[in-house]
Amino acid sequence: MEKYFDVAYIVTSIPLLLPYIEITFWITVIAAFWGTILGLLFAVAKLSPYQVLQKIAAAYTTALRCTPSIVLLFMSYYGIPLVLSIFNISLDAVDKSVFVLIAFSLQFSNNMCEAFRTAYEAVDPGQMEAAYTIGLTQLQAYWHIVFPQALVVALPNIENALISLIKEGALAYTIGLIDLTGKANLIIAGNYNSHALEVYLSLAFIYWMISLGVQKVFYRIAHIFSKGKRLLLS
Amino acid sequence: MLRIKNVHKSFGKNEVLKGIDLSIDKGDVVVILGASGSGKTTLLRCINFLEKADQGKASFGEVDLDLHQAGKKEIQSVRKKLGFVFQNYNLFHNKTALENVTLGLTVGRKMPREMAEEIGRKALNKVGLSDRYDYYPQQLSGGQQQRVGIARAVALNPDIILFDEPTSALDPELIGEVLGVMKKIAREGTTMLVVTHEMSFAQDVANRVIFMDQGVIVEEGSPREIFSNPKEERTKQFLRRILPEYTYTI
Amino acid sequence: MLDYEFLLDDFFIALSGVPITLLVTLISLGVSIPVGFIFAIFRLDKSRFWNKIIGVYVSFVRGTPMIVQIFIVYSSIPVLLKSFFVLLQWDTDIYKLNPIWYAFIVFSLNSIAILSEIFRSALIAVHREQLEAAYSVGLSTFQAYREIIIPQLLVVAMPNLCNATTNLIKATSLGYAMSLQEITLRAKVAANANYNYVEAYIAIFLVYLLLCSLVEYGFKHYEKKLRFYKFGTA
Repeated sequence: MEKYFDVAYIVTSIPLLLPYIEITFWITVIAAFWGTILGLLFAVAKLSPYQVLQKIAAAYTTALRCTPSIVLLFMSYYGIPLVLSIFNISLDAVDKSVFVLIAFSLQFSNNMCEAFRTAYEAVDPGQMEAAYTIGLTQLQAYWHIVFPQALVVALPNIENALISLIKEGALAYTIGLIDLTGKANLIIAGNYNSHALEVYLSLAFIYWMISLGVQKVFYRIAHIFSKGKRLLLS
Repeated sequence: MLRIKNVHKSFGKNEVLKGIDLSIDKGDVVVILGASGSGKTTLLRCINFLEKADQGKASFGEVDLDLHQAGKKEIQSVRKKLGFVFQNYNLFHNKTALENVTLGLTVGRKMPREMAEEIGRKALNKVGLSDRYDYYPQQLSGGQQQRVGIARAVALNPDIILFDEPTSALDPELIGEVLGVMKKIAREGTTMLVVTHEMSFAQDVANRVIFMDQGVIVEEGSPREIFSNPKEERTKQFLRRILPEYTYTI
Repeated sequence: MLDYEFLLDDFFIALSGVPITLLVTLISLGVSIPVGFIFAIFRLDKSRFWNKIIGVYVSFVRGTPMIVQIFIVYSSIPVLLKSFFVLLQWDTDIYKLNPIWYAFIVFSLNSIAILSEIFRSALIAVHREQLEAAYSVGLSTFQAYREIIIPQLLVVAMPNLCNATTNLIKATSLGYAMSLQEITLRAKVAANANYNYVEAYIAIFLVYLLLCSLVEYGFKHYEKKLRFYKFGTA
């Protein structure tokens, strides 16, 4: 009789899954890149003195904060081709990963926007004033004083945003992208749906290790950048 | 050296400065006294453009400008002639003591690093911190931080240094070391405009004392005139409150 | 273009999933608030063993995708229950179990980890001195927690609790993987007939926007009240 649970499957599926880290990695990196740029723009808009920009940015972040990733993903997957079809642009040839990237760039940008905004607001305005009094220009003051200090405050939030980007990225399988999770589901289908639990456990293990790795990297970065700042953080 | 005329500033409906005139000559040590809320700090901040005055003229040496409408370039050039010492120090948290002192030189004035560091070390030595070059602000006591703040202003060799209640945030036992440093640089001929509640500093060091109340200058004169023989009733009241021993004038 | 009539219909179909979504959310919070709190206290007391065990659990939950956690629970619970029932010689068909029970389990397990971290950081923020002060006026540990620690802790933790709640509501959209009849699944199934997916996801988006905005508003309102009563300042 077949066993319900077989540890051997956990071990054997790991090498089958590992190559697909590459897909997950690139999705994360590209979405993080565009998300950071967008997030910075919206943070600047939120902090700007212009009411219109503030309102637009606030609406953007509220909408994204309230949207489950999977809903955003499908809105991107079904919605963008529909909108572009009005202009007679066909996206049939476009790879699925593009829609995944768009959805997760938006999602990431929202988290980054909040990270940037709170970090900027955490820096004492007196720091800027002091920089002015010693003859620095606004740009110099931002570059030498405000940014380095804000970065330290923002790091934990950036770390959280990145880990959640990696985790939410697992949903890309729902539109047929073969990343880590997509491959796991393929392996299970290949087993005629038996031993799903074992495969999912190894999948979870891989994600877990990636998250711990990211945490470790951020711990190092925080250590490098937090010179003279430890008391400020506590 | 510095003349300001008719400075007005309101925050909402609250009129904080109601037409202030002030002039400072080279080598002057001018102390501004007054109760809190009298507008002393705001005046200092307007002179350095940390607040934009609603109205007012200023001349620094040969340069005339409008405190309300000055452009970025003008503001920048004025700030290079002024040093500023903050009540809560405002040292840069991410820079060491020496970097705090040299940043204005290396970045603001594009001075080579070695030259700037030499000046910075001299300034820190002057305020008695020759053993604290590489300390971050959080590793220093309040008194030490404020002395770095003073060194930061001194290092830029400004025409005038503005002090905004430099000892108000300090524990009583730390006030002495900061006042000592201020006296020292005053004796070296530094021109200073000081807002403070330390009467001893005003009496010992200032050559002119200004008393402000409710946004106007009530009275000004030598320390002897103001402390021993004030003419205005408001000044007398203030001194009576601040100095209980005031009635026994010498 | 868009089929507005269907959009409207589907909006109400999506709305009809709100009770299930809220039920899962409330049950999960109901379980995880007390358990998470107890976990948080365990972790404060540095008693090595429990601290480690709970730490690993929290790290796993935070380091792996929600969808993978769902896969794991969904494929392990039947196996566990089956052997359990066979042992007891019960004749119950576990595959007819209402998926909502799986949802309760998955989302409770997840929220326990999230909330224990929130409570832990809040406890660190108010704990030691307030506890000592409470002892000094003769309160027992239990009284100290009830009268002093917990009220203050709630104020500190409230913004994070609000985040956790909206995240939980959004996460229930993954209930589709367990055939949970919540907002997303209902609206999507209705769209299957005519491939009106764009309309469906717009409807779903609107419902979540409404739901999360209401929850956020509720929390903000409560937080204000709490601050006012507990500390006398707004």
